[in-house]
Amino acid sequence: MRTRRSEWLTVVALEAWLPVVLVVAWWFGSASSTSVYFPPLSSILGSFAHDWLNSAGLASNLLPSLELLGLGFGVALASGVVMGTVLGLTPALERASRPLLEILRAIPGVALLPIFIVLFGIDQEMKVLLIAFGSFWPILLNTVDGVRGVEPLLFEVAEVFRFGRIRRLLSVVFPGASPQIFAGARTALSISLIILVVSETVGGNGGIGYFLLAAQRNFAISSMWGAIVALGILGYLLNIAFRLIERVILRWHRLQQTRLGSEK
Amino acid sequence: MRHTRTGRRLAQIVVLGVALAVWWIASSELPPKVMPSPIETFGALGGYLVTPLFWTTIAETVGTFLLALAICGVVGVTIGLAIGSSPIANQSTRFLFDFLRTIPPIAILPLVLLLFGPTPRMVLVVVVLGAIWPILIQSIYAARQGEPLLREMSRSFRMPRRWYILHIFLPGSMPFVMTGLRVGTTICLLLTITGELLGGAPGIGYQIENAQNYLDTPRMYAYVLVSALLGLLVNAVFWLIQRRVLRWHSSQRREEY
Repeated sequence: MRTRRSEWLTVVALEAWLPVVLVVAWWFGSASSTSVYFPPLSSILGSFAHDWLNSAGLASNLLPSLELLGLGFGVALASGVVMGTVLGLTPALERASRPLLEILRAIPGVALLPIFIVLFGIDQEMKVLLIAFGSFWPILLNTVDGVRGVEPLLFEVAEVFRFGRIRRLLSVVFPGASPQIFAGARTALSISLIILVVSETVGGNGGIGYFLLAAQRNFAISSMWGAIVALGILGYLLNIAFRLIERVILRWHRLQQTRLGSEK
Repeated sequence: MRHTRTGRRLAQIVVLGVALAVWWIASSELPPKVMPSPIETFGALGGYLVTPLFWTTIAETVGTFLLALAICGVVGVTIGLAIGSSPIANQSTRFLFDFLRTIPPIAILPLVLLLFGPTPRMVLVVVVLGAIWPILIQSIYAARQGEPLLREMSRSFRMPRRWYILHIFLPGSMPFVMTGLRVGTTICLLLTITGELLGGAPGIGYQIENAQNYLDTPRMYAYVLVSALLGLLVNAVFWLIQRRVLRWHSSQRREEY
């Protein structure tokens, strides 16, 4: 028990020393900085606390972003998994639509911003649609590959036991494809974060992107740096949350697989 | 019929044709100026093909993209392999890189824009700072992927270090390095066009943004189409290079995307 704890401490110390050294170096290196663009870390952290670490700041700067991200990513996840499953289960359709999908996927999501503004205006719906469109493709293509990669034997077992369509989807297709779907969703998450920030620079609904742009226009450099720190923390926390969800869901998947294995 | 090669091609052409038809119908149903028809778009694109401006625009974007990719590739792979070969360096940098990787590269755009203005250099900085992480992190993994048996063998035969690096270490890590480079390549192109669009630096992204300001929708659609075709071209070239570099490796035929 004690050795375990000391091992754990060694790992933490090894992983933490360099970031700590860098932050300390940044703090002292920038303490007497008079550069407009690189303010002292103390004033950056002051702006960060003022803009982000209270309920008013969170409500106007963070909540709108989280709402957009949740809606856009949710739409992409739902539609990507549904369409990916359909295409994955009908190879002829998948082969026929491959060139079209490749062209659409190659469009950089941000490049569509002007088109979406002209088509849908600058409201929330436009931003949700843009985020959804940009993060849809990795989920779709990974779902197709995941569904097509499901062990064929499992389909035969389902056939023998006369599983209905729904039962077959829930107990054969989705469990088999879920690791690949998660891989696609992780890529989609980082794409949706980029498109989120970009889309918020138009219109005035608050959010991180809006805040960042306003800070730049007002030449509020410390606030701008504070927003960069906030975005870094948000990205990191989202990644950790994603990893936790993935671990819980894929553990269930592993259990399911071993059970199927033992029944066989 | 469905399974023959021509049948498949035919089906693909039908799908593309249906998509074009949908585009056409949508463009005629919407108010004018909102969505150009395919004919207007391809007409505009055909007109640009003979103007020098079109080709300098492409050259700006491709130039920034290639330079950024070269910097990310050289720096990311070298540092990544070096860190990956040392367990202590690897552990010390894990949290740091994990954190930096998740910052959306767009976050630093306002700062870089203030520092460099709307120039290709501004775009380059954003692209390098955003695209280097997948290459770096994948190279760190790559350094540990070599076959341990080969490493021990070259040690027991007392092969020179140089020989070991050239013939055992580098080939062993190459497949993983290539995966990182492929992801990095996609991100580089995406960020180049994004940086141009948001920062106003010359290139495809700027043309799209500028066309929106003049409500010149055919130009807007034409350049979005160009950016998609560029993406397809870059992908195809990457596959060709990867096929050559990893010809000997079996992983080649199985790909996750």
